[in-house]
Amino acid sequence: MCVGLPARVMKINDGHAVIDASGAQKEISTELLSDLEPGDYVMVHAGIAIAKIGSDDMTEADEVLGTLM
Amino acid sequence: MNDRITLAHGAGGTQTAELIDRVFKAHFSNPQFTADDAAVLETEAGKLAFSTDGFIVSPAFFPGGNIGKLSICGTVNDLSCMGARPLYLSCAFVIEEGFEMAKLEEIAAAMEKTAAQAGVRIVAGDTKVAGKGQVDGLFITTTGIGRIREGVSTSGAYAKPGDKVIVSGDIGRHGCTILLARNEFGIEADVTSDCAPLWANVEAMMDTTNDIHVIRDATRGGVGTVLYEIAEQSKVGIRLNTGSIPVQDGVRGVCGMLGLEPLYLACEGRLVIFAPADKADAIVAALRACPNSENAAVIGEVTDEMPGHVILRTEIGAETMLSRPTGELLPRIC
Amino acid sequence: MSDVKEKAIEIIKNYDGPHIRMMEVCGTHTHEIFRLGVRKILPPQVELISGPGCPVCVTGPGFIDEAVWLALNKGVTICTFGDLVRVPGTEDSLATARGKGARVKVVYSPTDAADYAAEHPEEEIVFLSVGFETTTPSSCLAVKSAIDRGLKNFSLLVSNKTMPGAYNMLNGSADVFLYPGHVNAIAGNALCKKLAENGVSGVVTGFTAAEILSAIAIALTKFKEGKAFFVNAYPRVVKDEGNVQAQEITDKFMEACDTEWRGLGIIPLSGLKLRDEYADYDARRKFGIPVMKGRTNPACRCGDVLQGRCRPVDCPLFGKACTPIHPVGACMVSGEGACSAYYQYNI
Repeated sequence: MCVGLPARVMKINDGHAVIDASGAQKEISTELLSDLEPGDYVMVHAGIAIAKIGSDDMTEADEVLGTLM
Repeated sequence: MNDRITLAHGAGGTQTAELIDRVFKAHFSNPQFTADDAAVLETEAGKLAFSTDGFIVSPAFFPGGNIGKLSICGTVNDLSCMGARPLYLSCAFVIEEGFEMAKLEEIAAAMEKTAAQAGVRIVAGDTKVAGKGQVDGLFITTTGIGRIREGVSTSGAYAKPGDKVIVSGDIGRHGCTILLARNEFGIEADVTSDCAPLWANVEAMMDTTNDIHVIRDATRGGVGTVLYEIAEQSKVGIRLNTGSIPVQDGVRGVCGMLGLEPLYLACEGRLVIFAPADKADAIVAALRACPNSENAAVIGEVTDEMPGHVILRTEIGAETMLSRPTGELLPRIC
Repeated sequence: MSDVKEKAIEIIKNYDGPHIRMMEVCGTHTHEIFRLGVRKILPPQVELISGPGCPVCVTGPGFIDEAVWLALNKGVTICTFGDLVRVPGTEDSLATARGKGARVKVVYSPTDAADYAAEHPEEEIVFLSVGFETTTPSSCLAVKSAIDRGLKNFSLLVSNKTMPGAYNMLNGSADVFLYPGHVNAIAGNALCKKLAENGVSGVVTGFTAAEILSAIAIALTKFKEGKAFFVNAYPRVVKDEGNVQAQEITDKFMEACDTEWRGLGIIPLSGLKLRDEYADYDARRKFGIPVMKGRTNPACRCGDVLQGRCRPVDCPLFGKACTPIHPVGACMVSGEGACSAYYQYNI
């Protein structure tokens, strides 16, 4: 049950944020993260943002595979 | 007249007559609309299609329509899937005591509008009123007849290896809309029901060819359920190209949030068509030129391998099976 | 297909090293790997095993029995993740208990259960708290929310677990672990780095096709080099230190305890329970639930499946007495269980 949803922060409201994932929007808790700004991407799990996302998965995989060379 | 339905409206006396006149006759009037025990109809010789459907959707009003519109579309589309021009409908209403008159009028108006769009006439009806709590709001049953076009014969058992599988538009919108309207998960998205009458679309397809093997309207259980039904009935395998299946962003987002598969969300205005490969492009072009099927697409093909199974080509190029539908995802979806 | 996925698939297909057992220990990985058909592109000497990372699968029948007892004997409204509803207890699941009058509500987040409690002061709410490091902070936030609002009608039935004890127990079951990316997002990489120093190799793995493929490609390449290794292949989400706020809130509300894992027995200090000062929010203490051991069907091989000792098809009940519609064991019920994934996706 690690299932996480990448989503974009639209609005921040004191410990909560409205996030958007491919056009679906929901308010979730941001109590586990600090310094979030609208436009940031977060990983959401069970209604809570657990991490900020640094890049898209293709760029990341490219860099990670690059370390093998 | 009162602003709410009462038991007296269902008793068969003056108030029933008043209700029929002011609400139903006002919206359904046409030459065959009967004041007698039954409508009398004459039709040309030929094969007829005959279908019935009950509607208990909750909530009764949702983005893109209401239970009235749905009740016309459901039966019109069932007839259309047999290649039949829908001709006449009857509707039976079971209304809960206390139901708002204004809402009933709105529903009847939607039925009138949708029937006109579909070219179908409502010729008979019935109204019953049940005590408060004995029915939830309003239930509608529609029954319809249509005349099957000469030379057309469709059935779930007629899919053949080599056929292409076509879907008439993006999937899962009705189920997604109802789910959002029930607001149990605090999710918002810009999704409306795909509920629409599709005779014009079927007619446009049949103008390109009579050689269409299967036409099914995907309702409860979505497109995925239809695919499994056809695979079983026709004893064939179906290969799906996941990348070709049209899904609107909002639907994708909601499914991602809730772990749902869009192929199993209900539709109410989508056809799944199986036709020979050389006819597929013309069918898709004809559909795309019609309202309510602008996003039609070929999504797969029929194979003689793995009969009864629906196979997906995944995003890493491997093949797996589409997981089978496992029962009611959302109750009272239509 | 994109370049990076193709690149990773090529590395995988060209693997010419020795036989390798890779174990993924996350229910979501089990599910995604099946859904994508990853096993179809692996060369024959690469064995991909499913481990005990599905929190629903490792929850014993006794937990379901406790929940059913609360619902039927104490009139409690059970709030739960959807996955638990059909897991069989000794006699009833929550689904069949509904038919006997139990009130069971599916929620998306534990904080939704606390909100429900606030909106329904006339009902007693118990949230069925299961999950690993990724999910536990959300249960703790629900308790915090209840305390902040002065709710007296909300408590947790706790069966949360932690991974370190499981990794210990699984030592030797595999050559390389694909670590659950979101567990590390919370807990950080320190433990996994330490395991590598002690000879246990692993790669922190994300959840998209590109992330899963690249993690496997790296695991195979490094394994050929012959030395124990640790690689974070999910750096866009996982930082070495993890999520410190999440670690702190977990530590504030919960402490380690011994707990039983379905099919694996008791793993010391692998479970969590609410600290004494939060006893009012612990359903077991609040309602005095009798100890319930729970019984499973002796033919059910969920325990062996969870340790990667057998495949789902090796269980005598698989596909016959045990199917997604009539599950006998938890591995078939949960959307992430190995048996359920195998049944649904395997050709």
